[in-house]
Amino acid sequence: MNTQNNSLNVNIGGIRMRNPVMTASGTFGYGSEYADFVDLNRLGAVVVKGVTSVPWSGNPMNRIMETPSGMLNAIGLQNVGVDGFIAEKLPYLQDFDVPVIVNVCGKTVEEYLTVVKKLTVAEGVAGIELNISCPNLDCGGMSFGVNAKLAHELVKEVRTKTQLPLLVKLSPNVTDITVIARAIEEAGADALSAINTLLGMAINAETREPELANITGGLSGPAIKPVALRLVWEVYKSVSIPIVGMGGIMTGTDAVEFFIAGASAVAVGTANFVNPQASLEVVDGIYTYLENADMKSIKELVGSLKIDV
Amino acid sequence: MNTFDTHTTIISNEKVAEDHYLLRCECSDIAKFARPGQFIHVMISQGAGLLLRRPFTIYTVNGREITMLYQIIGEGTKQLSKMRREASIQVLGPLGNTFDIAKNPEPAILVGGGAGIASLMLLAVALRAQDTPTIGLIGAQHQDRLLSVDDLEEIGVKVHIATDDGSVGHHGFVTDILTDLLHKNDLHQPTIYACGPHGMLAAVAKITEKFEVPTQVAMENRMGCAMGVCLGCVCPVYIDDKRIEYQRVCTEGPVFNASDIAWEIS
Repeated sequence: MNTQNNSLNVNIGGIRMRNPVMTASGTFGYGSEYADFVDLNRLGAVVVKGVTSVPWSGNPMNRIMETPSGMLNAIGLQNVGVDGFIAEKLPYLQDFDVPVIVNVCGKTVEEYLTVVKKLTVAEGVAGIELNISCPNLDCGGMSFGVNAKLAHELVKEVRTKTQLPLLVKLSPNVTDITVIARAIEEAGADALSAINTLLGMAINAETREPELANITGGLSGPAIKPVALRLVWEVYKSVSIPIVGMGGIMTGTDAVEFFIAGASAVAVGTANFVNPQASLEVVDGIYTYLENADMKSIKELVGSLKIDV
Repeated sequence: MNTFDTHTTIISNEKVAEDHYLLRCECSDIAKFARPGQFIHVMISQGAGLLLRRPFTIYTVNGREITMLYQIIGEGTKQLSKMRREASIQVLGPLGNTFDIAKNPEPAILVGGGAGIASLMLLAVALRAQDTPTIGLIGAQHQDRLLSVDDLEEIGVKVHIATDDGSVGHHGFVTDILTDLLHKNDLHQPTIYACGPHGMLAAVAKITEKFEVPTQVAMENRMGCAMGVCLGCVCPVYIDDKRIEYQRVCTEGPVFNASDIAWEIS
């Protein structure tokens, strides 16, 4: 399909993309794993697995559990660390003509800053996605994302250390996402990713044990799409920076719903696990929708929800 | 890499033992590249709330066809067992690493518990193709759940059976037979290949460590992507004397040296 057509071009916080479809962090590895199935040059952007200041070993097993139309995970951000990422993983991605966005996580402000500084001077990083919403860490991670003051301070600090486009990934596990979204916008973020996984748990009734070693985990997949759409819609009404919508997108139609709710781009996550080519099928699906709707640009669709009032 | 995602239809899907089925389908690319120990990731249905694929070992390869021998353990495999000829499935594979048979084991001893024996069938075929004397120790809960005896004997594997209730073969565990075999001390250069419940594998590892016999185990775990991305299927592996790292069963495995696994925390 003709994805070179510029009807799909978007600019997310300064990152120019050929189409608005990204991979969600943690669901696409470091880009090379799906090489047999996905031509990275056909994606809008690749968002790689979260990196931290030092390598993290991750949580014990079991780490995942399927739930109705979804899955729980508590991986615990097992990753090679920022130095390992830059030395071993980033060079592969530089061979492609696709923006690379690096998801960054930490337990303290200092850890976030360490990673951000190193990525800022590394070759081939198009942008940073600040992960302040990982639900599977004892401290740090989500604690920044559920507190408007902490979120504001962290983003402000990071902003002073990098000129790279800065996305911040929001947690759905809050009472009012708009308060946090506004605090992050005011602190200088260029775009918002919404949403991270929903905190959940699964129990084995026979053994009375939790299904995950971490007891709780993050819920993803189609099960969370209605929640994600609602949160994207709420955030869209309260900020003016672009939103990358995600949460249960399996098809082009799912993605279109996120644009209508107010997303300027989308990320495909858990669907990659089920179908390695899901991200490309979403690109094709959006393109077909625009053609059928006779729209010249995806921008016409953003926030186009029809409401009778 | 030679990994394929193939839309195919079921040729047959028959019950071969209590709660166990043998499914045949045509997947020529996967059949061409499949090696002992490797597995496939199967999309059973995207309806009814089942999101993820299920991993299954490749049982046999016949020309363009592959088979999988599986146990009903949850909703996905239950649905799969009800699917008939012509029903469509999507099969990703072949995935994972392979058993190492380069060192000419003499004999090769296969230890399979329950449906675990399915992971050792392609291996048995490869061993017998190079004339390696091969012994199969097959464990089952009871006679009606016994798998693969005829398939193994047909290619010249000498089979010993153990059942939990003694309904056939040795009354007890396959590990009892393994211990006896190794005690006899008349084996030239044995290598153990095992797959089965976690407890059985841990027991095998303990026994073969004592007898200092090289042992490869095919690990199992819940899987998300099966492509090395989600990091959901890890098991703890010693990378030196002290340090443990979580490695992916789908990518670094499913086959590991038993002595590398940190059984105490796995």
